[in-house]
Amino acid sequence: MTMLTILLLACITFATRYLFLEGRLPIRLGANVKHLLSFSGPAVLTAIAAPIVLVHEQQLDLASDNPYLWGALTAIVVAYKTGSVYWTIGLGMLVFMLIGV
Amino acid sequence: MDNYRQRALLAAVKKGAIDMLPLSLAVLPWGILFGSLAVQRGFSWLEAQLFSAIIFGGAVQIVTVELIADSASLITVCFSALVISSRHFLYGLSLRDRLSPQPLRWRVGLGFLLTDELFALSSHRRAYLTRFRLYYALGAGGSFYLAWNLWTLIGIVAGSSLPDLTTLGLDFAIAAIFIALVVPEIKSIPSLIAVLVAIVAGVLFSLWQFELGLVCAALLAMLSGYSSAKLLKVYP
Repeated sequence: MTMLTILLLACITFATRYLFLEGRLPIRLGANVKHLLSFSGPAVLTAIAAPIVLVHEQQLDLASDNPYLWGALTAIVVAYKTGSVYWTIGLGMLVFMLIGV
Repeated sequence: MDNYRQRALLAAVKKGAIDMLPLSLAVLPWGILFGSLAVQRGFSWLEAQLFSAIIFGGAVQIVTVELIADSASLITVCFSALVISSRHFLYGLSLRDRLSPQPLRWRVGLGFLLTDELFALSSHRRAYLTRFRLYYALGAGGSFYLAWNLWTLIGIVAGSSLPDLTTLGLDFAIAAIFIALVVPEIKSIPSLIAVLVAIVAGVLFSLWQFELGLVCAALLAMLSGYSSAKLLKVYP
């Protein structure tokens, strides 16, 4: 029974991932929809990252000793200046850990 | 010639795996958490591993394992999985033009591997459009799949003898990586507006513990970016 449930869940997750990759699905994306979708990358990634930084224990955490906040601000500046993923993670993590200690 | 081609494709796979490495490492605590949680909640080793092997979705797995263990109805379990997975519709739509003309094995393979993390690495101008970029995605998504399953296995075997690693702050690493990927994409006022709206809506919906929060925040952000581009007459 559990096995069947797992299999069913696998089908659901796969279906959500695969559905729009199927060419025979009779939908055509117009220019406006494509323009709208061009914002999807930054929109989704930001919507995932922002609560990691700003929400802790289901509360808005804007305290000056929130290491996530300082780490994220560092990461934003480093990403803007260098454009390098590794510098951004490295320096962001460094500030995050220094404040978190 | 063939040998040369093979080496080029292998290099693409390797580059994908290396680019994914920070994210593969960053999800280690959650992979371990899932494995040990599943065993603690009474699932067999095989069942626990199967979650990661065939469902392959962090949040879906953790939520559904709890629901099944609490004997929730099958409808509830499936509906929760659908709600949490609904953000994938957005990824599929965004990549439709690039991936739908590809052969079935690529669509199915990369579709199966299409996690938040793979989508995060999909913004390259030619992503999925060349053989190199297809193999690159295979390396990125495939290595993430192997890592996730390995972390799950460690969690299953080591279980509760390991300390809770989710408090180590590796979630910050995920945020930092996403910041590194988003900041260079902010090239215009509309994209800045989209990001700012995503921050406000993402935080608000998370505070409200709104189940569809992620998808709705992303959609709101996209609509804000799109309408400000129309108002400011910025063309893509």
